[in-house]
Amino acid sequence: MTAKRNHIAPFVWQICTIAALLALWQWAALNHPAPHLPTLQNIAAGYLRLWHGDLLFTAIIPSMSRLAVGFFIAVAVGCVLGLMLGYLRELDPWIRPVLEYLRFIPAVAILPAALLLFGPTDTMRVFVIAFGSVFPVLLAAIDGARRVEPLLLEVARVERLTIPERLFRVVLPAAMPSIFAGVRIALSIALVMMVISELIAADNGLGFYILRNQRLFQTANVYAGVLTIGTIGLVLTLALLALEKRVLAWHRGWRGLANAG
Amino acid sequence: MVDARASVLSATARNRNASLFRHDRIRALAGLFSMKLDVRNLAKGVAGIAAAILAWESIRTLQIVDPRDLPSFLAILQTAFNGLSGGELARALLATLGSWLPGLLIATGIGIAAGIALALMPRLEVATRPLLEFLRPIPSVALIPVALLVLGIGLQMQLFMIAFASVWPVLFSAKAGVESVDPRYLETGRALGLGWAGRMLRIVVPSTLPFVATGLRTASAIALVLAITVEMLTGRPGIGFYIENVRLNGLVVEMWAAIFVAGVLGYLVNALFMAIERKALPWSPENRDR
Amino acid sequence: MNEPILVMDAVSKAYSAAAPILKDISFSQKAGEFVAVVGPSGCGKTTMLRCIAALMQPDQGQVLHNGMHFFDPPPWLSIVFQDYNRSLFPWLSVRRNVAFGLRDIDKRERDERVQTALQAVALEHAADLYPWQLSGGMQQRCALARSIVVQPKLLLLDEPFASVDAQTRIDLQDMVMDICKKMSLSTLLVTHDIDEAVFMADKVVVLSTRPAHVVEEIAVDLPWPRDQLTTKESPEFLRLRHRVYTLVRHQAQKHAGANREELK
Repeated sequence: MTAKRNHIAPFVWQICTIAALLALWQWAALNHPAPHLPTLQNIAAGYLRLWHGDLLFTAIIPSMSRLAVGFFIAVAVGCVLGLMLGYLRELDPWIRPVLEYLRFIPAVAILPAALLLFGPTDTMRVFVIAFGSVFPVLLAAIDGARRVEPLLLEVARVERLTIPERLFRVVLPAAMPSIFAGVRIALSIALVMMVISELIAADNGLGFYILRNQRLFQTANVYAGVLTIGTIGLVLTLALLALEKRVLAWHRGWRGLANAG
Repeated sequence: MVDARASVLSATARNRNASLFRHDRIRALAGLFSMKLDVRNLAKGVAGIAAAILAWESIRTLQIVDPRDLPSFLAILQTAFNGLSGGELARALLATLGSWLPGLLIATGIGIAAGIALALMPRLEVATRPLLEFLRPIPSVALIPVALLVLGIGLQMQLFMIAFASVWPVLFSAKAGVESVDPRYLETGRALGLGWAGRMLRIVVPSTLPFVATGLRTASAIALVLAITVEMLTGRPGIGFYIENVRLNGLVVEMWAAIFVAGVLGYLVNALFMAIERKALPWSPENRDR
Repeated sequence: MNEPILVMDAVSKAYSAAAPILKDISFSQKAGEFVAVVGPSGCGKTTMLRCIAALMQPDQGQVLHNGMHFFDPPPWLSIVFQDYNRSLFPWLSVRRNVAFGLRDIDKRERDERVQTALQAVALEHAADLYPWQLSGGMQQRCALARSIVVQPKLLLLDEPFASVDAQTRIDLQDMVMDICKKMSLSTLLVTHDIDEAVFMADKVVVLSTRPAHVVEEIAVDLPWPRDQLTTKESPEFLRLRHRVYTLVRHQAQKHAGANREELK
């Protein structure tokens, strides 16, 4: 009985908190009408409008496709370059200082330069997204590739694997846990860069939608846009975690054993 | 029983001192030798930088990109230097730091307090979890338009955005820090007659500090990004506005110089917090092998 | 006809001038022969094995496989390392670990060969498990299967039974002897266990302490097949064991004496 109550209690608490906050918001919106305090039904209506009809094609889909391309480029470049730099250790001292400088440039600062070079185009936005999110993947891949068990590389040598084979069949899988950790960070940065690149010089996408509605004082739509971005971020993060769980099934068991032993 | 615990505690303290001492000695030795040993790597690093500059110059001279958009590296360096020695760039840099630091301080204060509170009060944590889990994944820059609606353009709004974005790493690291405190230390403290406040100050806070220091380093970088973004979008004075403004006025060299300086700023901020981290946790295993 | 499959010709290796590891190691191994190398612990056996496998080149002298010099491991060579928990690929199932070295052959033949190797080490039932789900002995059998699936001619065993319990070790010894005889493999076993060396080998090579050199080669003419009970109780086994034991202990004592000298 008590066990059951303990299990349910947190859930009830959470529902209560959410309900109380929503009720407070709605009460404030109805009794103290202000431009920045739209009612819940208006926000909900704006949210639903975003997910079907024209807005889906002028806001969500352009944003998502730029995010997808930029993020994919970042992951691909980060992995390939990172595995090579991590495996071929002699390269590291040559590239490290340049890398250490580039990774600490606040990624937004690069946006005006991208705008200058590429103009207000999708290429520019994809570049900015990729530039911002490549470094976590790159550094994680370098780190993962360096920590490959040396004995496994010797096994690969005895089995006479070529260097590309060693990279693909030994270094890549061994670095996978590290790479996934980097990719998770990269995803959140990619989302930020997606929004920023649409807040400045864009004519579609979610960032543009939010900014335009803010200028038109359509506040319900602003909140709806923010909620939509939050939803997308949440769904992508969950998808990434699910993929990680599948790909790294071996790692959890192996690590669990290492911790126990 | 109490004596045994007391001796455990003092033994830990002794170990900590011993490792502090050993750590300093190792670092001193490393400092003596690294100069000699690292010359070769330093040369390689310089060669790498030279190669990067060479690549930049060849993109220019081969006209892969319009050379008017890509000034020579030397010109960028010179403009950056001129701008920093008493020019507009220096003022912009100071303005950015002037909103970055207070924003980060607010985030640190709120983050540590909230993190400790959440870790110590499981009920509060359970009740607020949905709210936190909902707010955290929203890309903070998406909230800039909302903040503009509610707070308008101004320092207040900029500080709010910086603090909102950078509070999360501090909050979650402080929470993780408190949760990682070994209950045996707290029991030892109680056995030694420490009150609640004493246990907080002398056991919980010191063991949480290393975690917070790491979270703070992440937060400092995020705060910088937010400061620059808000400046770009709302025209608040600072390096973000400066970069966007010189671009709009076609001052290409000035723009690249400012971006270069922003990169150096990001690097220095990270280095600063790395140093703070080392001071905060000289006994951590991560630091020992550095 | 019976050209040696492996010749060590005055092999020396040092990581620095002050610390030579191997000094003029010479011995040879006939095809099909089971050679055990014993020596005091820490005498450089693993370094020697890495030189033999061409994972490392000696400073002086030559390692010849079938009369040839190699800069990379020869195609007919396989190794089983001591640390099974580090030498198996944690992200591959047992089946895929075993198939790791099989490339450029069609899928059916590959499956057949993997199946045969798994049968030889009695792991068919565990083929789809991951290494972390196996006991130490099973992991080492998996590593053994991975080494024999490529049908090597020379099998190097680097203290393969050092990290498992006594009962498992006996089972593994019988299994390895059985497999090596059936496949008529030339096997080089590096071990610090004298009983094991004498019990399994046709020839025992005794190494000195660092820098390691060959103290003596001892032929073991115990009859095949060997049995954990009857062979180990035979007077001949005891005589050989006594001999090897005396040599190794003499080396170890000399080493301890030298250490005491240094301390003074």
